[in-house]
Amino acid sequence: MEIPFVVNARKDTGLFNSKVAIWLFLASEVTLFGGLFSGYLFLRLYADYPWPERTLPVLPGLLNTFILIGSSVTVVFAWAALKMREWRKFQINMSITLVCAALFMILKSFEYSAKFSHQATRIYSENHSVQDFAILEGHLHKAKIGGDGQLQPAEKGEDGAFYSNRIIFSAQEVSFSLARPVYDGYLEQIIEQSQARGAQFQLAEAFETVTIQEDGTRPTATLIPAGAELSRDSLDNAESYFLHARSQDAKLRTKYLKASFAELRANGNDDPGWKIAESEEYQALQNRNAKLIKQRAYSPPGSITYTSGEKPVTLHFDPDAVVSRSADQIKLRDDTIIKGKMLESPQYLAVDGIDFRFTAQRAEEEGIEPARAIEGSWVLKQPQLKKYWDAHQEWLKALVEKLGNEGKGHVPTENELYRVNWDQMVAYHRAGFEDIYGKAKRGELDKPGWVEGFTGPSHGGQMGQAFPEVKVPREHIGFESTFTPKWNTYYAIYFTITGLHGLHVIGGMIVLGYYLFFGKKMYDSNPEWLANRVEVGGLFWHFVDLVWIFLFPILYLM
Amino acid sequence: MADSPAEIKKAVKLYTFIGLTLFIGTIITVAVATVEPLDIHHRGLDWADVTLGLIIASVKAGLVMYFFMHLNHEKPLVYLFYGMAIVMAFFCMFLTGWSKADPIEYGDPTKGDGFYNAGETLPPRR
Repeated sequence: MEIPFVVNARKDTGLFNSKVAIWLFLASEVTLFGGLFSGYLFLRLYADYPWPERTLPVLPGLLNTFILIGSSVTVVFAWAALKMREWRKFQINMSITLVCAALFMILKSFEYSAKFSHQATRIYSENHSVQDFAILEGHLHKAKIGGDGQLQPAEKGEDGAFYSNRIIFSAQEVSFSLARPVYDGYLEQIIEQSQARGAQFQLAEAFETVTIQEDGTRPTATLIPAGAELSRDSLDNAESYFLHARSQDAKLRTKYLKASFAELRANGNDDPGWKIAESEEYQALQNRNAKLIKQRAYSPPGSITYTSGEKPVTLHFDPDAVVSRSADQIKLRDDTIIKGKMLESPQYLAVDGIDFRFTAQRAEEEGIEPARAIEGSWVLKQPQLKKYWDAHQEWLKALVEKLGNEGKGHVPTENELYRVNWDQMVAYHRAGFEDIYGKAKRGELDKPGWVEGFTGPSHGGQMGQAFPEVKVPREHIGFESTFTPKWNTYYAIYFTITGLHGLHVIGGMIVLGYYLFFGKKMYDSNPEWLANRVEVGGLFWHFVDLVWIFLFPILYLM
Repeated sequence: MADSPAEIKKAVKLYTFIGLTLFIGTIITVAVATVEPLDIHHRGLDWADVTLGLIIASVKAGLVMYFFMHLNHEKPLVYLFYGMAIVMAFFCMFLTGWSKADPIEYGDPTKGDGFYNAGETLPPRR
């Protein structure tokens, strides 16, 4: 059977089949992205923190806009070439479209990777009535555990080094919960790290199993001997026994519970079950049974404990793995409890941004003068950071004067008032922190431009020297993350929308690439049909461009 | 839609012109957002910048839809599909904006808990 309207359009609708399909699909896409844009609007309107407006480097976004617009032009040229039966021109234009799409994704990957490696740390301190809420941005330095078991900065590429964002703990005892699975990742870390330091965790006391005899005796047998090395197998054995014993105990309790009910019923008690459960006779039977249950139950231990012997072992964990910590104990997400001594676990951060906007917002909400709250911040007690803030005040003074002279009634923005951006830090550093006010007035401050800071601050080379190193003690870290969805809702919606858009770009590349590389046969047999297909693929591609046309100003410029 | 070679050649010129217009629109959007003397209304981002940015983006989107996506040659059926979807998307945004008009607000920032009535005197919140 011949399918109608594959090549020629229906007269009443003016559409051929695949065009109906693509328009319906695009309509669903509009509602999908419309919902996400609504999500963006909602998050922005209700944000309870300073929204990071105009925070993304503009140049990569601008280039990507040009690239997508260019590709929209070439894809329509490719379609026109097919209509004019010019295969070579079609190939050239479609190839350019695909190159543009690839370039778009490459630029996007640069942007994403810059965010994945860029750290933000919100400072916590209670030195004044408003919690600090200052934010330091930067790159984490690497650190390692030294011979003395303490954390120390590491050189680039040094063996055993890790990003200095870890909870460092001197462990003497590790208890694993048997009631829930022990996470392989944490167990491996504990074993590997202890082995790397020439130590091992051994079972503190033999893990014994119980057998319940008919006469009520409880002979025991050793399942894992004392001193056994910590391993996955030994934990699995202990866990299997625990689960079996717990299941038997549950059956035992149910058996006695049923027996109590049966006994009362046999004695002529016809009350409903809930009433029996509340009766004194039932409680008396239960008390009697409790003693019997205790004699006949396995009552397995809920955890198994290993010790490091006389010498403690220094372990380090990602902060996300640790759900609670105190001076002598940390608890991991899988309920593993490690006892010992909390060691200094600072972040070594090369700071490329100081942001007091959140401090100012919270201060105003509390009715406190923002300047006073900022003055009390932990950040300004660090001399290497304070000099940047002081330089910024000089720059701000010059700006206020300039705006006053212009006579337009303009005032500095909140970004300018409360934030020292990476490019300003570089400019102050290049100026040697001298006469910032004068240099700002004369326009002599040497701020990096868009090209120099293509995807943000560069920590290598000369620019990197402008970013001071700070040791942030763990007790002053209120919240920390890379610039990923964990950090705030801005990055959550940024990655959601741009990620979905990126997937559309990849999808478009596959479809258009198929026409380019496998379309010749169809072109030779039915060129109009191929032209229709390219038009449909092009419609999708234009939609991808259309979404970006809104995304670029909203995410990069607003 | 352009079908004869002569019409297509003519259309190609139009597409080039539209492409250039889109480039220029992008440059204007970036310029008003980043070049200080071109910043309109208040210093920094404000409603005027947002409105201008969205107007330019909407014009650019309109050009892409009308010319590149050939809406100028389509019959009303396509407008119906696309129009309904756009109305739906804007309705979602309207709902979001409408939620701001809720007479009960949540989480008094000065007290950190409970409800308070809209219009109640509160310290400025940004």
